Amino acid sequence: MTIRFSGVPTLLAAALAASAATAQTPGVTADTIKIGSFGALTGPGYLYGKLPMNGVEVVFDEVNKAGGINGRKLVLMREDDRCDPTAAIGAVKKLVEQDQVFAIIGGGCSNATFAAKDTLEASKVPTLIFASVHDGITTPPAANIFSTATTSSIESQAQVAYAIDQGAKKIAIVSMRDSWGRARYTPLLEAFKAKGITPVADEEMSPDANDATAQVLRLKAAGADAVLLLLYPKPAAVFIRDAQKLGFKPLFLGQTGIADPAAFEEQVGVPGATANFRTISQVRYTPEDPKMDKWRKLVEAKFPGDRLSVYNLFGIGSAEVLVEALKRAGKDITREKLIAAFDDMKDFKTEVYAAPITCSKTDHRCNKGPAWMAKDPGGPIKVLGFTAVGQ
Amino acid sequence: MLLFSYLLMSGITTGALYALVALGIVIVNKATGVINFAQGEFFMFSGYVGWMLHVQYGLNYPLSFVLATLIGFVLGMLTDRIAFRPIAKNDIVSLVLATVGIGFILKGLARVIWGGRSDYLSFPPITSPDPIMVGPLMVVPQQLAVIAGTAVIMLVFAAFFRLTRAGKMMQATADNARAALLVGIRTDQIYTLAFGTGAAIASAAAILTAPVTLIYPDIGFAFFLKGFAAAVLGGLSSLPGAVLGGLIVGIAESLAGGYIHSSVMELSPFLVIMVVLVVRPTGLLASRRARTV
Repeated sequence: MTIRFSGVPTLLAAALAASAATAQTPGVTADTIKIGSFGALTGPGYLYGKLPMNGVEVVFDEVNKAGGINGRKLVLMREDDRCDPTAAIGAVKKLVEQDQVFAIIGGGCSNATFAAKDTLEASKVPTLIFASVHDGITTPPAANIFSTATTSSIESQAQVAYAIDQGAKKIAIVSMRDSWGRARYTPLLEAFKAKGITPVADEEMSPDANDATAQVLRLKAAGADAVLLLLYPKPAAVFIRDAQKLGFKPLFLGQTGIADPAAFEEQVGVPGATANFRTISQVRYTPEDPKMDKWRKLVEAKFPGDRLSVYNLFGIGSAEVLVEALKRAGKDITREKLIAAFDDMKDFKTEVYAAPITCSKTDHRCNKGPAWMAKDPGGPIKVLGFTAVGQ
Repeated sequence: MLLFSYLLMSGITTGALYALVALGIVIVNKATGVINFAQGEFFMFSGYVGWMLHVQYGLNYPLSFVLATLIGFVLGMLTDRIAFRPIAKNDIVSLVLATVGIGFILKGLARVIWGGRSDYLSFPPITSPDPIMVGPLMVVPQQLAVIAGTAVIMLVFAAFFRLTRAGKMMQATADNARAALLVGIRTDQIYTLAFGTGAAIASAAAILTAPVTLIYPDIGFAFFLKGFAAAVLGGLSSLPGAVLGGLIVGIAESLAGGYIHSSVMELSPFLVIMVVLVVRPTGLLASRRARTV
């Protein structure tokens, strides 16, 4: 009997070629995968940078404790962009060219991340955005950039849909018209148009406003029964205080700029004023939820002095998605395989996001299920469900 | 009419706060000839100090107010001694840049000391948040408290300038520093006093403002901008002018927002200022000094 071994050299050659490809892949060695991250580590924007990164790191620690991904440990390299567009471009260049990372998970402040988009795209490094919501980052989609953050257009659609769902007949807008506000305001008007309705009032507030009497009186005169707030927490708190003061009590709908209803209630500081306030969160749980105990312990053990925050959860969810894509990319991992794994991700359930994660070749906005949260005055935060939009 | 009364009250309240910031700017400018670009940061820093005393350490509001104002006064005097006095003989641009630098340092210090707690810190209301109905008019106690507080502070400082020796020496130095020096007034000490007084007024304004807004490291610039506009409108060297300017800026903002649209709120006071300065370039209440050479 003759045993033919003619296929063996072919298989060997293929295996060697694959292993050579991996060996040539930047940031990947036999036992490590280098992942870069950029966002604000310092300054007030640290909430959207440092805290999600801390979340990413505890997920990586768990993966590494369990043996890594296909035997490779994940190594996180952080760069500070201080929420500054120029610094963000520099941070991405350093991660790509100097540190030679395999992939990137990061992006805190929208404007900084948006400024770095061209650099990210040109680098072809697979990138997963964890907090920046600017539409321009994912639309039109760059082949290598994906996002687990709910984008501003998704949130705008969710605000309109939720207001209608709650029976609102006269919906009004109060918005900031800086670059952050405009990134939400334009898609919001499109969302109104898509539903065939016109806002009954459309008012502006500056981020530094200390009084909203004029805006409240105009909305009250228009008879608004729902007010969509495209505001940072500070002007939003001033607006809700003044609304309470002037007896104006419609449904107030926020967005992820005001992601923590408990902190917001504290900022408003007037008992009962936030009773009609609902806001969007990228994640379905509050940090206090018993289901988050595991992550609370891990974050607080690794970063003494930190309390688990909703921003940590952004990083945890995003890291879970990255880890899953890395697993699906296989042992002979390449950047192309990782991008293909993201493109093919369908209905992947994480421990924190409200809706399953779905990406495609044409739509890299992978989280389309913003969760709605509310907090009864003095009571716990409640998750009210999620609005599936942009499918 | 109701709408007008609400908008007017709101305008007077914010205008009163702008007036206080403007007063601080005018006092330093009168004494030193320099616009203190750190005035907004004195305001911000004192807001944090007030929050620390009242919210963190649980002191009552009046005591927190007095202590924060005193701390502001000392901070202003120290700033003059440490950062301003050593370069006092330099050209005016260096002095102005020094105040900008002081502002950055104060902002950085605030971030180091109070950063990381939250984006924005809340100061509890000092009165009931519920409005009181006086006939058809709705009166908000918080607004009344701010207006009353501002009026008291203005009266105290007016008395200081008119009735105390230090106040009179400050006025004399402001009118003619060389003549003041010749009659034995230590003008260097007056400059220190001016910085301290300016910072103390900013502190008082901050503690009055804190319950109607939130405290954050960048709050100072917005107040400085409006306060500076009010000071320019009033004449930059006139204390009553600063008060009048502040009130005009606040009321213009509020009425424009209510009757035209909220998008013109930020713009309206500057339009008013532009018109006034075209008609009266020295400002509303500046003394006209014609000098023939």
